[in-house]
Amino acid sequence: MANDHSAAASDPKRRHRHEGPQKHVVAFVLSLVLTIIAFAAVSAGEINTTFTYIILVSMALLQVFVQLAFWMHLKDRGHLFATMGIIFGIIVVFTMVIMALYWVWW
Amino acid sequence: MSAHDHHLDGHLPHEPEKATLEGRNKILGFWLFLGAETVLFGTLFAAFIALRHQTLDGPTPDHLFELPMVFAATMILLVSSLASVFAVQALHQHKVKQMIVWLIITILLGLSFLGLEIYEFNTYVSEGHKLTTSAFSSSFYTLVGFHGAHVAFGVLWIGLLIAQIFKKGLTVVTAPKIYVSAIYWHFIDVVWVFIFTVVYLMGKVG
Repeated sequence: MANDHSAAASDPKRRHRHEGPQKHVVAFVLSLVLTIIAFAAVSAGEINTTFTYIILVSMALLQVFVQLAFWMHLKDRGHLFATMGIIFGIIVVFTMVIMALYWVWW
Repeated sequence: MSAHDHHLDGHLPHEPEKATLEGRNKILGFWLFLGAETVLFGTLFAAFIALRHQTLDGPTPDHLFELPMVFAATMILLVSSLASVFAVQALHQHKVKQMIVWLIITILLGLSFLGLEIYEFNTYVSEGHKLTTSAFSSSFYTLVGFHGAHVAFGVLWIGLLIAQIFKKGLTVVTAPKIYVSAIYWHFIDVVWVFIFTVVYLMGKVG
């Protein structure tokens, strides 16, 4: 194991490997597909309202996850505190929106 | 960092935006700022969702919104986000010219998004959907307009950064700025995902 590690660390190719554009293109295509599904679900107009809402919200959440992970590099190492920061924001937002809509407004 | 020892000869390190403590702190600080921005947009979304059926005598969302235009705006922003991530890749490979080209493409797409939004708002106003028409129109213009203001700020910011790159070149000081502005640009796109979902598509569904 120790040998493997030092071999990997001293291999300049491994250390200086640059990420290709592939995974960003994949993230783009994924975002594109999720967007088109959301728009198609609405323009089709045949599906009942509740189900359309479920499709829309899940497509949005999926796309946000893809973009946060790949384009905003949150999945890369050294992003623990950054991830905590944004997750804290997301938790506050959901608490606030749900509270505003269900406890205060209605 | 032993990995960066050989960069003491003046070459840029592998990931110049994370090479200094200041750069790393800048990125972390920016993420905390984005957490706060998320909350800020959340309040606007909460207000919009609560008020979106209060149309009074004004036009309803279903009557007003045109999906092809919204889809075009979405595509423009999505492609600009891709251009922005390519700029960061060029940054990692120290290809400054390529990076500037991608940043300029990002800005141009941002400007066309803004142009489309101004045209859209103009059309709405001529259809009697003004800021003070109804609770729906007020919360709509506040939420979508606030996002538009973020796009405008991003265009200005990235534009100034390009000017700074021309002046000072790509260094461990300028690299974190480019990286952080790219994160900001993606965040704008992420907010737009929720706007086209909650405002436009759910507005069409009813």
